[in-house]
Amino acid sequence: MRKMKLASAILMTTAIAPVAHADGHLQIVDEPLELTIHMHWPRAQGYNEEYAVELAAREMTGIHLIDATSGKNTTDHNEAINLLLATGDLPDIVGGHRIKDPVNQYGPEGAFVPLNDLIEEHAPHIKAFFDARPDIAQAISSWDGNMYYIPYLPDGKFGRAYFIRQDWLDTLGLEQPQDVNELYDVLVAFRDNDPNGNGLKDEIPIFQRQWEELIRYVTLWDGRSSGSDTYHDFMVVDGQLQHPYATEGYRDGMAHLAKWYAEGLIDPEIFTRGSSSRDYLLSENLGGMTHDWFASTSGYNASLEGTVEGFNFVPYLPPASISGVRMEEHRRIPFKPDGWAISHTNENVVETIKYFDFFFTEEGRLLSNFGVEGDTWNMVDGEPVFTDEVLNGGIAVNTQMYEVGAQIQRGYWQDYRYEWQWTAEAAREGIELYDANDLLIDQFLGVAFNEDEQRVYDRNWTQIQTYMLERQQAWILGTGDIESDWDDYVAQLDRMGYNDVIEVMQAAYTRQYGN
Amino acid sequence: MADHTKRMTRIVDHLRANWQIYVLLAPTIIWFLVFLYRPMYGLQIAFKDYSVFRGIEGSPWIGFEHFHTLFGSDQFIRALKNTVIISMLTLVFGFPMPIILALMFNEVLNQTYKKTVQTVVYLPHFISTVIISGIVITAFSPSSGVVNTVLDWLGFDKIYFLTKPEWFRPIFIGSGIWQEAGFSSIVFLAAIAGVNPSLYESAVVDGASRWQMMWKITIPSIMPTIIIMLIIRIGNLLEVGFELIILLYQPATYQTADVVNTYIYRQGLQVGQYDLAAAAGLFNAVVAFVLVMTANTISKRYSRTSLW
Repeated sequence: MRKMKLASAILMTTAIAPVAHADGHLQIVDEPLELTIHMHWPRAQGYNEEYAVELAAREMTGIHLIDATSGKNTTDHNEAINLLLATGDLPDIVGGHRIKDPVNQYGPEGAFVPLNDLIEEHAPHIKAFFDARPDIAQAISSWDGNMYYIPYLPDGKFGRAYFIRQDWLDTLGLEQPQDVNELYDVLVAFRDNDPNGNGLKDEIPIFQRQWEELIRYVTLWDGRSSGSDTYHDFMVVDGQLQHPYATEGYRDGMAHLAKWYAEGLIDPEIFTRGSSSRDYLLSENLGGMTHDWFASTSGYNASLEGTVEGFNFVPYLPPASISGVRMEEHRRIPFKPDGWAISHTNENVVETIKYFDFFFTEEGRLLSNFGVEGDTWNMVDGEPVFTDEVLNGGIAVNTQMYEVGAQIQRGYWQDYRYEWQWTAEAAREGIELYDANDLLIDQFLGVAFNEDEQRVYDRNWTQIQTYMLERQQAWILGTGDIESDWDDYVAQLDRMGYNDVIEVMQAAYTRQYGN
Repeated sequence: MADHTKRMTRIVDHLRANWQIYVLLAPTIIWFLVFLYRPMYGLQIAFKDYSVFRGIEGSPWIGFEHFHTLFGSDQFIRALKNTVIISMLTLVFGFPMPIILALMFNEVLNQTYKKTVQTVVYLPHFISTVIISGIVITAFSPSSGVVNTVLDWLGFDKIYFLTKPEWFRPIFIGSGIWQEAGFSSIVFLAAIAGVNPSLYESAVVDGASRWQMMWKITIPSIMPTIIIMLIIRIGNLLEVGFELIILLYQPATYQTADVVNTYIYRQGLQVGQYDLAAAAGLFNAVVAFVLVMTANTISKRYSRTSLW
């Protein structure tokens, strides 16, 4: 419904203008205007002035972006932006990875230009987007109620899914588990009945690349592990801020996970095996199930074909919890803390916001998602379709896009058609399966603190989280028993200021989202 | 007045005569000024509510608030305790190793054998910390690690070492010794090479055994080097090599593994609280200064060897 509204809003604003950019209807300035930009993100430290997308945008708008990135010698974006701010010499545009917190913190201090009025007056396409998604406008605003950056807006709903070795199930004559009890039986069978047929009891029923992902399984007992796509995040229940690790569902779930770990249903090396565990355990035919990304995990069916006899690793519906709820806790966040902002030194703020708006027009959106028309894609029956060279080029499509300057972390609105075109068939089926069921839950989109709240949060939260994680790992490993430790644990959280943190979170939340 | 002019002339003469030495000294002095003295200006943020955008001058003073925060935190106290324990253990077990190695190398007669062993023990020094941590994690892995395989052969239970708080320190200190003992022995070997050979020649004439020569000649001769190295080590006592800790620790082992530097990293740098991190770092530096002063004074009094 919301999507329809949004689409029609965008259509209305773009329908006024005729297509084709040659006529210069997207032209922002008559004389070429140069704007400097800081652009720092994990894959590139700096903005390449030779990007095909940049050259096309220059031609269409008349605005030339000039690279002025700070901290090009570090891959740490945080360090780069702090370095930039500390020099005090800000370029016209500050963009890149994880700029939300810095712009919302230093924007009200005067480092960045508030965008609300500019959007209202000069950016009809961005305005149309925010009119359709006021929740995102609220979520990216700072504590003073102003927006300071235009975010990168990912498209698509699903990120991770539960995957299981269908061929192992078939070998043992089992069905896909439909609830947590059936899941337990399947995992025990994986452990005991030698589904890989090598005569050894070496199967690892559950494995995860990130140990944090294991905590996600507490949803099977109606607990929660995080309120957003960031691990260990807060969540909102009936308008009240809570931390999942202070709730009883978490306690019950963890008690069961500890039991599963002790019984050998979970990778004994879950905390140290690290990022290569999926590669290793799948190619050695040892791993039974995991909770991981649709696209990359489905990819093993192709890459291990012939290496592992009969290998078939499929996404399946989340097993129902003890109370019968099927929940996929992980989903893509509707906006990223990445994007771009206008700094206080910029003398052409109107042209700059118009330039930002350009990437929300139909032409700009296609350009920022797919690259230059005719080079990397063509319009086929009204749909942007990548050329064969791009789809079968032997290099991942996203990497090719980064090289031409598309899909980079400017403020732009992603188009899921970009990813769908190169998503493996198995993953597409899984996404459709997940989409057909009501699995997702609302996300906590974060709050912006004022200075006093920030101080309370900074002072207490890191310590509390450290304590929570220490206890979490200890309980899984069997040092201590969560049921008997729980009261002490809650009392310790109180002593460390948990309630103070919740109080400032709640205050900021109410201010931002108006309850 | 005349006195003053005379002194000036003396200084100018001195500079003219020895200018080459001062030119040679200059890069080091400049390095110290630029990288060690100038940044001290920034230490004031430990007493300020620092905002990157407002800058050092623009941020308001808040006195000792950050220090109150630190000492009110159980986790900082725990980190401080762990730092002291880990450094002490490293000193006790790690410091004698290179000396022992150097003495052993000195006794080896076969030159080829000596060179080979030396190269082998120097090598780990040149491996990056990330690789070291990978080697350690693999070696202590419960399923495929060499340590657990051996334990299994001997009939013991396998242990998931890297999640056991009681095993963290032995593993950390052991891997530190493995990495650095060989390379650190170079300075002692050099000192041994500088011992006057006539001492050994006359000892041989007097019928001393090799063991006696080591105890009565070699060790006393290199004692000043040992003491200087010890004082330097004490000065760096709180500078625990935290990169390796960050790579090896887990929330499950924070209890014994979390040191001041890793605490600063998590509490200060990851969440951008530079002022609090500066306060913790400043505290660390003050303690290190007191330690090195004390060690130097004690050494001066009892052995007449000192840094200054």
